Amino acid sequence: MLAVTKLFNKSENMAAIPVSDTRNWLRSVAERRDRHAFEQLYGYFAPKIKGYMLRQGADDASADDLAQETMVQIWRKANHYDPQKAAVSTWVFSVARNLQIDRMRKHKFYEVALNGDTSSNVENLQHNEQLEDCPDTDRLRKLIGELPEEQMDVVQLAFFEGLSHSEVSCRLSIPVGTVKSRLRLAFGKLKLGMGEQI
Amino acid sequence: MKINHHADDATIMAYAAGTVSEGFSLVLTAHMELCSHCRERMSLASDLGGELLSELEPAPMSQEGLSNVLSAIEADTLDPVTPFKSPSVSGEMASILSAYVPHGLDELPWQSLMPGVRQYQLAGIESGNGSVRLLSISPGIRIPHHTHLGGELTLVIEGAYEDEIGHFKAGDLADLDASCNHQPVAVGNRPCICLIATDDKLRFTGLLSRMVQPLIGI
Repeated sequence: MLAVTKLFNKSENMAAIPVSDTRNWLRSVAERRDRHAFEQLYGYFAPKIKGYMLRQGADDASADDLAQETMVQIWRKANHYDPQKAAVSTWVFSVARNLQIDRMRKHKFYEVALNGDTSSNVENLQHNEQLEDCPDTDRLRKLIGELPEEQMDVVQLAFFEGLSHSEVSCRLSIPVGTVKSRLRLAFGKLKLGMGEQI
Repeated sequence: MKINHHADDATIMAYAAGTVSEGFSLVLTAHMELCSHCRERMSLASDLGGELLSELEPAPMSQEGLSNVLSAIEADTLDPVTPFKSPSVSGEMASILSAYVPHGLDELPWQSLMPGVRQYQLAGIESGNGSVRLLSISPGIRIPHHTHLGGELTLVIEGAYEDEIGHFKAGDLADLDASCNHQPVAVGNRPCICLIATDDKLRFTGLLSRMVQPLIGI
C-alpha cells in the first residue's frame, strides 16, 4: 500500500493568523477595494493555493500562475462572499477548486448556491435566522485533527490530489466500497461533532 | 417539497472536492437547489475543503507573483462593487436545468428508446464514458434489470418510480454505485421524467436487454 505524503501539518501551521483577520481583509476588499488588505490576503492564501495546485498535479510555474489567477478572481468576486454563510477559507477553496477544474480538467462544474436563499420555503427562512456570524472553524479544525489516519488519507487524496473514488481505490489498493465507507465515517464524525442534524 | 432520497455522504464529499464529472455536478446542483438537507451537508464538506486548504503547507510564490496580480487588478480600480444576488428558482424544476430545457419538457425533441420509454440526451457535458440524459417512462413501464460499471445519479423531475430501493418522486435523488442492480418501474398516472447522469456505461443483466443495449446506446 502506498503511503500518502504528509504535506499536511497538523499543529504548527494553524492559527498563525486568526480567522477574523482574513474575514476583515476580505470584507475590506469587497467594500472598499482595499489593496493593502488584499496584499494581506495574498500573503496568507496565495502560497496555500499554490500548494493546492501542486498537489493537484500542476508543475511549479503553472501552480504559481493558477494561484495568481485565483487571487485575481478573489479580488473581482470578493462581493460574492457572505461572512454569515461560510468561512473565508471555504470560499477561497471553492474559487481555487473551480479554477483548477476549469484550467486543468477543462470542463464546467456546476455549483449550487449554498446560502439557502434559493428557495423561499419556511424551513430555509428559519434556518437562515439561526446562522451566526461564521461557522465554527475552530471546532471543525479540532475534529479534522482527530480523524483516524486511514480516513484522513482518503479525505486528502480526494480534496488535494483530485482523485475520484475509483482512483483513490487504485492508489491505496483498497476496494471502492472501502474508500466510500471511510469517507462516510469521516464525514459522520464531522457532522456529529458540528452538532448538525444532517 | 418533501424530499426523501438524498446524495450519499461520499458523493457529497467528492462534489465538494471537485472530483465528480460535469454531468454529476449538474444533477447534484439540480437536486440541491431543491434540497436543503443536501445543501447543509455540502456546506460542511466545503468547510472541510477550506479548513484543509488553511492547514496546507504553503508553497513559496514566485517573486513577481504579487506584482503580476496587482497589475492584473489595476484595471479594476474604478469598477463599482455590485451586490451579489443569488439566482432565483421558479416552479419545481431546478433553475440550473432551464438552460437545457428552455421551452419545457413537452417541447424537447424526445427520441423513442423502446415502447413507453423516450430519452433526450443533453449534449456537450463532460461525463467520462457515461452520459447525461432525460428519460421519460410511461406509467407501468419497467426498465430492464441493469447494473452500473460506474456510478449513476437519477433525479426525478416529474412523476414517480419504484425499484428495489424504494419509491422516488419529484425532487428525490437516487445515488447508485456499481454494486447496485435495479429494475425501476414508473408508477402513478403520468410519465416519470428523470434526469440521469452516469460516469460509465450501464450493463443490462438480462440476455434480451443485453442484445438491445447497443441499439439504445445507454
